[in-house]
Amino acid sequence: MKSVRIIALRKDRKRLLEHLQDSGLVEIRESDYSGKGLTKVDMTSQMQVFERNVALTEHALKILEEAVPEKSGMLSSFSGRREVNPDEIGVIASKSGDVIISCDRIVELDKERSDNAAEQVKIRSKLALLETWKNLDIPLNTTGTKSTAVFIGTLPEEYGEQSLKEKIAAENPALECELEIIHSEPNMTNAVVFVPISQRVMAEDTLRSLGYSRPMSPTSKVPKVKTEQLLEKSKRLEEESEQAENEIKSFAPIREDIKMTQDYFKIRTDKYSVINKLSHTRHVFVVEGYIPESDCEKLEQICTRAVDCCVEFSDAGDDAPVKLKNNKFAEPVEGILMMYSPPGKTDIDPTPLLAFFFYFFFGMMFSDAGYGILMIIATALIIKIFKPDKSMRNTLKLFQYCGISTTLWGLLFGSIFGDAPAAFCNAFTGSSLTMAEILPWPTIDLQKDALMMMIVSIAFGLVHILVGMGCKFYICIRQKDYAGAFFDTGLWMLMLIGFAVLAVGMAFSPALVTVGGLIAIACAVGLVLTQGRNNKGIVGKAVGGLASLYDITGYISDLLSYSRLLALGLTTAVMGQVFNMLSTMMGTNVLGILFMIIIFVVGHAISIGLNALGSYVHTMRLQYVEMFSKFYEGGGKEFQPFSLNSKYIKIQEDK
Amino acid sequence: MNGIFLAILGASLATALAGIGSAKGVGSAAQTAMGVLSEDASMFGKMLVLTLLPGTQGLYGFIVGFLILVNSGVLNGAASNVTLIQGLAYVGASLAIGLGGLFSGIAQGKAAVSGIAMSAKDDKNFSKAMVSITLVEIYALLSFIVSLLVVIQVPNLG
Repeated sequence: MKSVRIIALRKDRKRLLEHLQDSGLVEIRESDYSGKGLTKVDMTSQMQVFERNVALTEHALKILEEAVPEKSGMLSSFSGRREVNPDEIGVIASKSGDVIISCDRIVELDKERSDNAAEQVKIRSKLALLETWKNLDIPLNTTGTKSTAVFIGTLPEEYGEQSLKEKIAAENPALECELEIIHSEPNMTNAVVFVPISQRVMAEDTLRSLGYSRPMSPTSKVPKVKTEQLLEKSKRLEEESEQAENEIKSFAPIREDIKMTQDYFKIRTDKYSVINKLSHTRHVFVVEGYIPESDCEKLEQICTRAVDCCVEFSDAGDDAPVKLKNNKFAEPVEGILMMYSPPGKTDIDPTPLLAFFFYFFFGMMFSDAGYGILMIIATALIIKIFKPDKSMRNTLKLFQYCGISTTLWGLLFGSIFGDAPAAFCNAFTGSSLTMAEILPWPTIDLQKDALMMMIVSIAFGLVHILVGMGCKFYICIRQKDYAGAFFDTGLWMLMLIGFAVLAVGMAFSPALVTVGGLIAIACAVGLVLTQGRNNKGIVGKAVGGLASLYDITGYISDLLSYSRLLALGLTTAVMGQVFNMLSTMMGTNVLGILFMIIIFVVGHAISIGLNALGSYVHTMRLQYVEMFSKFYEGGGKEFQPFSLNSKYIKIQEDK
Repeated sequence: MNGIFLAILGASLATALAGIGSAKGVGSAAQTAMGVLSEDASMFGKMLVLTLLPGTQGLYGFIVGFLILVNSGVLNGAASNVTLIQGLAYVGASLAIGLGGLFSGIAQGKAAVSGIAMSAKDDKNFSKAMVSITLVEIYALLSFIVSLLVVIQVPNLG
């Protein structure tokens, strides 16, 4: 990684930035020359306009998606972004104004729709209230004539005409009244009460003591007329909403334009946000950033060809971002590494090692030639048909390589869709073959040789851990930390090797036991002598040294953890076999064969889903927990170049 | 004495106990997932994956149960040959995946509930949630392997 500084004239700023963005070679960093006569330019307000447009298009797309769902196949998430010719950008830019107007309209229509819906709710509750007044033939807010006072309202109990009259008489015998019941139901009576105008105040008091209240929304219209009006209004709103909906749908054909416009504004937002990081004088501006060493020449050419400028390179400091560079074999697992953490400043790039062990362990756990071949074919087809973007392509490649390894392990373990060839051969011919007899090469039966494979798994684990520690050793040597290299790492490596020799010796020859034991004891003594070296005093050093031997438990649990290689491999094999057994249970008549096909397909689909997920996660765990803990610090920053960062379209490079 | 009853008991224990664990795990995960789906139905695929993760214990239990039935001859009518020792061995083997599946299923269900809540907040958390939930799986898997290795060997016992 190199640090780069470009100085150019301010009038060329737009042009230069466009070239930088198109090439995507540089990560631009904040440059700080305050106090040296250079100033920053604030572009926040321009950016806000673009960001608003991005948000608007997003909103409009969401509304459009609800109105007219976009047809998408199950596999469409694999497909890459649409490729766009650089010349088309101009067209998109010139259309963007219209598209934004359309988006505004879509959002407006959507708002109209939701306003209407809210209004409809109000109308419905009004209608429900009016329903209880529908038999009234005078306006609800009538209070009386010259000679008569009229009380229209609700009482909180159920009355008939007679019972209400009695109730009023009982409350106030002096009151002369005439009344009409409009509507009554349990706990509610709508009534109209007529009294002489002279008794108005008295009547009001009496009624109030009975719990009388006026209607909630008095109108000057007869309830029936009002109801009709409201119904009409509701119908009109409904029609309006429908129109709005149709108009929204009519925008469906410009969906692609909206997407491209969104990307266009995103790209412009990025460009303006970069301007905020630059330093300016009146006529000149400075760009500072990071660039991978291999791209320096290319950048210089691009810049000097585009504008008059000065390009300088210097060594990047410690906090430079990291860009991984790997061959085709290792590149797919970069994603796995990045998920953990990009390499820090003292780290080596562990991707090639990670790649080898990832494919190796995944294959050992998934271990079925049938599944492996399916993986290879499926990933190859998807890459060929959908032409996915780089990151998706790498993921697919990862599974393709894992598929190759899975196939090889499957052939070694004699597993092809479980024991499908043997099981079906037996079902149709009545023979009792096993996979080992069918396959012409020697195979290992995980179920019979489980103990042996457990030891093999742990042996692979030992190699894996030793490689991890070897990396630590190398890193220490590179940093000239020789004590760390030989005492902290080297002794433990030797000790583990000693134990391994001891274990082999116990199985085969007593001579190796002595050799291994001596190595282990020598290393243990070495550890006791050296591990407390940073402590004070003889006692401190001794205690520190002895305590360090306790780390052996960590190594043992790390090693045992590799037994999952056997466990997952065995699960895949047995699950496949059980589904084969189930599928041949119904015999070989027509119905039986149909049953066989269904169970076979469904069963192995379940088995692939479960075991592939398990193998993936546990392979990752072995890398992260057992291997990375030995040497990998992480904590670096990923290199994120200033580039055309778009969601829907991909601009082709100039050729 | 014949061991057929014990063989069937073993098959039942393995299938049922592990099944209960998975049912509890998947059940609680499904409840949370439905809460998320009521807000955003487009998450269905991801929610389905997270909900199904505690479902494997039941499958392991079923495989052990099925293998016991096959090995003891219950399925092909040769069950009368099962000895008492073999029957007891089947019961013993079934306890590993039965109990291991029961409790790891419940524990994995709890992890799945949190994972669902986590990926409901941000889609990007999905793969992290999935990895974390799958880590519980290994303990069910180890129980399964122990049951399996015993069940395979039982026909060779007296």
